[in-house]
Amino acid sequence: MSDADVTADLQRSSGLSRLKESGYAGVFLTCAAITLLTTVAIIGTLLSDALFFFSEVPITEFLLGTNWSPNPRGEGLSFGIVPLVIGTITVTITAAFIALPVGTLTAIYLSEYATKQVRAILKPLLEILAGIPTVVYGYFALVYVTPALQATLFPDLGTFNALSASLMIGIMTIPMVSSISEDAMSAVPDSLRQAGYGLGATKYEVSTSVVVPASLSGIVSSYILAVSRAIGETMIVVVAMGSQANMPQIRETILGIPYINPGDVLFESGMTITVSMVQIAGGDLTGGSLPYDSMFALGLTLFVITLIMNVLSDIIAQRYREEY
Amino acid sequence: MAVETDTETEFGEVSRLRGAIFEYVSLGASVVGLLALAALLIYVFVDAFGLATASPAWLLTYFLTLVVPYIGFCLYSVGDRAFTRKVALALGGGLVVTAVGFTAIETLVGTIPRLTWQLAYLFLVATPTVASVTFVASREPVGTVGFGLIGRLIGGAALGCAVAVMFIVIDRPLWFLVYTLGVLPAVGVAAYGRRTDFEWTAVAAGVIGLVGFVVATVLRPVVGIYPSDGLIYLWTLGIPLAVGAAGIVWLREASRKRVAAVGGSTLLAAAAGILLGSSALPNGSGVIVTGATVAAIGVYLTEAVDADAGRQGLLLPVLLAVGALAGAAVVQLVGITTPEMWLTPEYVTSAPSNTAAEAGLYPAIVGSIIIIGIVAVLSFVLGVGAAVFLEEYAAGTGLVGRITRLFQINIANLAAVPSVVYGLLGLGLFANLLGFGFGTAVTIALTLSLLILPITVISAQEALRSVPDELRQGSYAMGATRWQTIKNVVLPEAMPGMLTGTILALGRAIGETAPLIMVGAATTVFSAPSGIWSRFSAMPMQIYAWANFPQEEFRYGVVAAGVVTLLIVLLAMNGTAIIIRNRMEREH
Repeated sequence: MSDADVTADLQRSSGLSRLKESGYAGVFLTCAAITLLTTVAIIGTLLSDALFFFSEVPITEFLLGTNWSPNPRGEGLSFGIVPLVIGTITVTITAAFIALPVGTLTAIYLSEYATKQVRAILKPLLEILAGIPTVVYGYFALVYVTPALQATLFPDLGTFNALSASLMIGIMTIPMVSSISEDAMSAVPDSLRQAGYGLGATKYEVSTSVVVPASLSGIVSSYILAVSRAIGETMIVVVAMGSQANMPQIRETILGIPYINPGDVLFESGMTITVSMVQIAGGDLTGGSLPYDSMFALGLTLFVITLIMNVLSDIIAQRYREEY
Repeated sequence: MAVETDTETEFGEVSRLRGAIFEYVSLGASVVGLLALAALLIYVFVDAFGLATASPAWLLTYFLTLVVPYIGFCLYSVGDRAFTRKVALALGGGLVVTAVGFTAIETLVGTIPRLTWQLAYLFLVATPTVASVTFVASREPVGTVGFGLIGRLIGGAALGCAVAVMFIVIDRPLWFLVYTLGVLPAVGVAAYGRRTDFEWTAVAAGVIGLVGFVVATVLRPVVGIYPSDGLIYLWTLGIPLAVGAAGIVWLREASRKRVAAVGGSTLLAAAAGILLGSSALPNGSGVIVTGATVAAIGVYLTEAVDADAGRQGLLLPVLLAVGALAGAAVVQLVGITTPEMWLTPEYVTSAPSNTAAEAGLYPAIVGSIIIIGIVAVLSFVLGVGAAVFLEEYAAGTGLVGRITRLFQINIANLAAVPSVVYGLLGLGLFANLLGFGFGTAVTIALTLSLLILPITVISAQEALRSVPDELRQGSYAMGATRWQTIKNVVLPEAMPGMLTGTILALGRAIGETAPLIMVGAATTVFSAPSGIWSRFSAMPMQIYAWANFPQEEFRYGVVAAGVVTLLIVLLAMNGTAIIIRNRMEREH
């Protein structure tokens, strides 16, 4: 230590270094601002083309029309979203039948029953389910699941069908339900469980009657997120479900009450909102045509639906959370 | 008396049965998805490697020459009698159980398509056994060294190949000029500045680099004669690699002889790489592959030979190579029929074709690597930058606080936007409005970068949050400014976490298909792309295109091979991320 080092140079904070500091702050702010710009750009791109579309096709016709044929051969263009919505709802509900119960039970097992070691192995393994590329799931559904179902349970299943696509979406969204629900269940304080045991409840009763109600807001918000993911899922349905925008056949019972046979929609090829977007993109990308713009109208619909569901799940998780 | 033994007390019946059933049902629910996926993965592996046509003798040969020696190595590494006995019991007992169980199912229920009991044994018993002995052995010194060496070998070669592929779309002569006139002088000035503590060298290096770049672009069309690609690779990548490898060894304070040995052998390997002919990589780029491999091994060896224990582990690659050769020799000599594999070296290095036998994945693999390379740089820079702002500059109150909250909510919402909508963004903004072209690497990479940006930002934020505040306070107490604290303290500490998060996010990007279709990526291209403005394909696009082919050979052969290639790449990326994370956790 020489004497020269001891006298601190406190005047060094020159203009240059101050400029440098604010310069770097500006760079980081720009990076963060790009995330916001992305949202603005998404809304901007979707709106500009969608508004053009809605100036040509009335919005009521788009939302209520029952015929979807954007690539006509001979007949006129028709943009009715109802068959696509029916396809999307079919897939989403069927997938939810797999993902929600399985995911909830998984969360209960992980948070209440599993030992520490089992949890340490099972949790990362479950994440693999969400990490497999969706086009691979679609391939699995088309090449392995559908033939297996045809050979065993449903001999009259079509090559392209909604059922096996939905099964794969269900499997893919299990970890989404299980991990968020498990977080909520783990956040339930142990004192509540102990109180339950103190009253003579069994582990089963504590799990189902204490832990699950106490973490209900988290569980429900995980459901909404999983359903929103299923609605936006594209490649599984594109590969495995085919592309037939059909209205389901409305049958009548003997008493004259109309109903839709689930087999009619599940065992046949169908079309979701996302599939029709991919189908149009396969044909025309240069812009300016009505089918091109309809893609953005569909994208806007999808964006609005998923945004609403996301906000809803957030509100439920925040507002109905039990504070301990 | 009877009242006391009766379970029906006034508290109501306590049903054990219901609880037990519930526990097992929920356990079953936790694994049902995994079991379904495992079954599908087994089938796709069987199809990709044509194992359904493999003769039992072929399977037995390779089982004895590869799998058994490998398990033996792991057991030797663990060196625990009880564990060895357990593994032997699992392998032997599993053999009997699968053989009997499989035959019973086949006779009672019905034939299981494309599986034999030997394959069932391979997947249900041998694979889990290999995984568990690998896991246990990786904690012992011999195993650590062995796996470390194998990891360097594969990692060095894979990284080398990836860099070589990136150079397909780079103008080599321009790169040569930029490197010679810009990069090299700038690095030299910066290094000189480090030694002399001269304040302005960072600025000077930047200016010199920029000037060099401008001069190089001006000179590129003027200068007519350039060295061959091989020499350019050697000069711009081989020599720096050798210097870098030698430098790392030198920093570890190894003897001068070792420094020279590592540097020299890397240089020699890189030079030999020029001569290495390859059907897939462009001329001369073997330099990078051999150079990177030898550099990685050399650096690791100088560390491993001095280790107190585990030096025997260095024999693992030899063991596996001898095993593979012996297996091949036996198969040749005895005349065992080899199965008809789909995933072969030719498959990875040849172009797609309409006949299944000739179909390959090469252009799609090249496309994927280049796209992911660009996405990696873009999303890492943007993600880390945004995270640094949100974690280090953000305030809880005031205008900045409000902006921060807005950013935070926005990022959470962006993460939930369906990927196909990002595809529309890419189509409308990058392809049509900005005119970057349909399906070019630029359009695809920008779209995918924005797609994974929320994930990278969130994971980088978590990494920054895990840096203890004492470190920051300590740095400020020393008089450092905010930027100096971030640069010297926070970022180095959070780097492994941010790298892990980015690699995991890249895994998501490499499998995305829907946005690629939306921006007009090619379903099938027959040659490697020539530049970043040409139309690209990618592995998932090619899988999507082939999945529509109705022929059996495509459905069950070619596509399965593509799926397995994609999954192997994914596994390698995620494995790297996990290794980085584990190492980071061990250091803390």
